[in-house]
Amino acid sequence: MDKAAPLTIALPKGRLQKPVVDLLEQIGIDCSELREPSRKLIIPVPGTEWRFLLAKPADVPTYVEYGAADLGVVGKDILLESHKDVAELLDLGFGFCRLIVAVPETSGIKDVQDLDFNSRVATKFPRITTEFFSSQGIQAEVVHLNGSVELGPIVGLADAIVDITETGTTLVENGLIPIAEIAQITSRLIANRVSCKVKYQTIQGLVRRLREVLAKPVD
Amino acid sequence: MTYTMTQTPRGTEDFLPRDAERKRWVEETLRNLFWRWGYREIVTPTMEFYDAVSAGDAAGLARNLYRFFEREGDILALRPDMTTPIARVVATRLRGAAKPIRLCYHANVFRYAEPQAGRRREFYQSGVELVGSSSPLADAEVIALAVEALKAVGLKNFLVDIGHVDYFDGILQNSGLSAEQRRNLRTALLKKDYVALEELTAAYNLSQDDRELLLSLPHLRGGREVLHNAAERAKNPISQRAISNLTAIYDALEAFGLTDWVQVDLGMIKDIEYYTGMVLEAYTADMGFAIGTGGRYDNLIQQFGYWCPATGFALGIERIMLVLSRQGAWSAGPNLRILCLGLAQRPHLAWQTAERLRGQGFSVELAVDDLEEDKGLRYAAANGFRWVIKPVTEDRLLVWTEAVGWREEELERFPAALKGGGFGG
Repeated sequence: MDKAAPLTIALPKGRLQKPVVDLLEQIGIDCSELREPSRKLIIPVPGTEWRFLLAKPADVPTYVEYGAADLGVVGKDILLESHKDVAELLDLGFGFCRLIVAVPETSGIKDVQDLDFNSRVATKFPRITTEFFSSQGIQAEVVHLNGSVELGPIVGLADAIVDITETGTTLVENGLIPIAEIAQITSRLIANRVSCKVKYQTIQGLVRRLREVLAKPVD
Repeated sequence: MTYTMTQTPRGTEDFLPRDAERKRWVEETLRNLFWRWGYREIVTPTMEFYDAVSAGDAAGLARNLYRFFEREGDILALRPDMTTPIARVVATRLRGAAKPIRLCYHANVFRYAEPQAGRRREFYQSGVELVGSSSPLADAEVIALAVEALKAVGLKNFLVDIGHVDYFDGILQNSGLSAEQRRNLRTALLKKDYVALEELTAAYNLSQDDRELLLSLPHLRGGREVLHNAAERAKNPISQRAISNLTAIYDALEAFGLTDWVQVDLGMIKDIEYYTGMVLEAYTADMGFAIGTGGRYDNLIQQFGYWCPATGFALGIERIMLVLSRQGAWSAGPNLRILCLGLAQRPHLAWQTAERLRGQGFSVELAVDDLEEDKGLRYAAANGFRWVIKPVTEDRLLVWTEAVGWREEELERFPAALKGGGFGG
């Protein structure tokens, strides 16, 4: 049950979509339809039995875990937060950012250990945040927000935040400084555990081609 | 009405008659098969002492137990699998029994984990344990029975992957890595986090051979050639023993003619810690998660004070049911349901007719509510009856089928309908 098996690949809408499409085109997959603005959520790859599925980034691991998609592309931040049972095949390198703990510069805090024992931490990543602070022996109260986490310390909702940052600009603009790095984030190719087995040849073929492209120095 | 009165707890479900019948059919099919292979059913309590069900598995199942206190103060738990209770029984009540012992079960088990992706908190397992033999032939029998079980329930496109826990352990023990480093590598492989596997092998002080070997583990899968390849690559005695054991198992499966359904996968790592040898996992292209799992657990029974080797597997009944639905593979079987009218008017006659037909294997409902004829037919249509009958005399009855309508027939002719003749419809 293999050899050019049909594949469904879940791609994240948003900031990772363009670099993913660039990469897939480099290995010779026709992504022209993905480049056109469209409301279609399922996009077949011409001349193959492959198709793309466009999903909200946070939903990509879910599609893959259930086997609704064989493969998916998603940031490591979302993967860490979702705790889904999927295989992580490849670090795709792009979408680099850092998951950090930041505090208001005015607080004078330089280290997570300096946070008060009952500090509140605002984040979009409650699970990662809880795990990180318990691993540091700090009992922080985690406040779950869905975006604009930087607001938390400004309006007194939180003493610190845990968020991803690419350049640090947003942090600086909001008077925040990073005091700890939890993880470095890149996007990952993930796979359903059973698809890994039943579509082994096809998936490994794809992984090999991606590796070759990723190993090439950037021009 | 409150939520807690009308709903069931998260991760549990009701089986309405259609699904309950299907579940029963799957279990019956497996029960018959297991019996024909010499496996006899065992029933153990749903709840056990916490100490008993957490034995032998520090990190795997024990975290996800439903625990509660007994009045006497002991901690009890709902069983998270059947293998551990059976190990307890073997070490105690069956200690003196002649070995090997073949046992099977059909039971609900409980795991207090987040219900998602095919995992429920209460679910049903059917499985076997072959207790008291260390022979690779015992492992081969268990794998063969897993294949036959999935064939018997009518599953298509399935495979059983087999691996061996010692192959990977031998590589690790031989690597000179610290216990923590070994644990990290194990976790990466267990979670199929191949990015972490690459990062860790790059960071750790490993020989080039070991590094390449660890990275190749996810790809050591296929037929007999994988065993040769794996033996070439890992020269430490533990891995070598694992491969010769797995080769003996594979030889037997070849002799049984079952290798089309079996694949070697040496990158398979299990999250349950009691496995000591061969491990297996069954899956199909039509579902994103495994439908069966198992392996050899030679040290589990020892946790109860008696060393005894054992091997076995468990199949997930709901998952099998789901795949059969997806594959459109439910064999409907003949519809033998009859609605019998006329009980209120002639109770003795209706009763007698119903009993005769029941004795012949039909399912006969007596209309206790004295249904008018058209109301009876509506009820029959809504509930999937194949026939509606109304006894006329001891030997004759009016029979209604959707195709023909009413006609008078002899009761004698009813069994013929079973073979497709007779009444039509």
